[in-house]
Amino acid sequence: MSSLFHEQTARQRIASIVDSFTEFLPPPERVMSPYLPQLDIPVSFDDGLVIGRAKIGGKPVYLAAQVGQFVGGSVGEVHGAKLTGILKAAARDGIPCVLIVESGGVRLHEGSSGEIAISEAMRAVFECRAKRVPTIAVIGSDIGAYGGMGILTTCCDFRIMTEHGRLGISGPIVIEKWMGKKAYDSSNRALVWKTSGGKTKFLFGDADVLAEDDAASVSAAISKLLAKSSPLTLKSIKARQQELEKRLKAFGKTSDPDVIWKAHGLASIAEASLANAKEFAALAKKK
Amino acid sequence: MEKFAKSFSSKPLAWPRGKQWALAGVVGSGNLEVLIERNSKTTDQMECIVESSIPGYKSSWLAALGDFAANYPSGGTKVTIHDQGADPIVVTFRLRQAYDHLIKP
Repeated sequence: MSSLFHEQTARQRIASIVDSFTEFLPPPERVMSPYLPQLDIPVSFDDGLVIGRAKIGGKPVYLAAQVGQFVGGSVGEVHGAKLTGILKAAARDGIPCVLIVESGGVRLHEGSSGEIAISEAMRAVFECRAKRVPTIAVIGSDIGAYGGMGILTTCCDFRIMTEHGRLGISGPIVIEKWMGKKAYDSSNRALVWKTSGGKTKFLFGDADVLAEDDAASVSAAISKLLAKSSPLTLKSIKARQQELEKRLKAFGKTSDPDVIWKAHGLASIAEASLANAKEFAALAKKK
Repeated sequence: MEKFAKSFSSKPLAWPRGKQWALAGVVGSGNLEVLIERNSKTTDQMECIVESSIPGYKSSWLAALGDFAANYPSGGTKVTIHDQGADPIVVTFRLRQAYDHLIKP
């Protein structure tokens, strides 16, 4: 089994970060997409989402992990219902919910059912937050969290990212198609990585923790956040709004992500690019 | 889509203490998922259900599955496969992985 978090499958990730895990709706129950067979697309036993109750660092959590390889980790009706269910269970029982996100967003093959499913899941996130039940999203692969899942991820209390993780609403190719190759060249991997990757998101505070690309580091980061919750109040929303306005003012005109890195105190771009998570966090603090 | 079901003769599964089911692989490009489940009784048949996104390779599937049934005592199990274009070597590998998970206590 690979020890690099970004190379693991959803089930391998779960197995490598938990002390114990009991799956809900396991594969033999065959709760699968009713839409994909009509389009001649193969189905999956878990519809691309593994959910269950787990213990991480000795503490109980509800856990969901998306299978990025299956239709891009996309949220269909069944997938979304499972996601909503696990979040509602967390809100009901007052047990933190951990989401290992790897998804391009709504499964377009399932149209409105997918859209509705993801908005129901978002509502369930806010049900958790209203009850101060921690919701933690982990993004650790280059499929990342995009579209509806990008939004849902940012609705959570906390985000843990590795440098392989990417977070956004529209994916790089979508942005290029709409804005033109001059505005955003999706084939420029360094640009994509520096605009939506874990390190940049950590600098902005969009990711609360930058973890190493291994299960032990991710698991430790989750454990540290399980007892905390981030209150959602009018004050906190206004503060966030101000922060975003400040960000737009500071960087809205720049087309070079290195400018952003330098403004956050990273003197040497090369050094920061090669730094591991711990070193990067230390460099970013030096400003 | 290519869909079919077929049973293969196989020696009865000899490990009574393992799990009820095991899963290997994911449904992704060039990959497949294999679910192997124990039936309530041990028999001399391995039941197989295959769904593949690539039509036209039924004879290859039958050869790979028949080979597996002959080499690994799988009587009394049900194997369900969701495939997205895996080649025969990957199919054999996933079958062995799932089998290995199933028989380990």
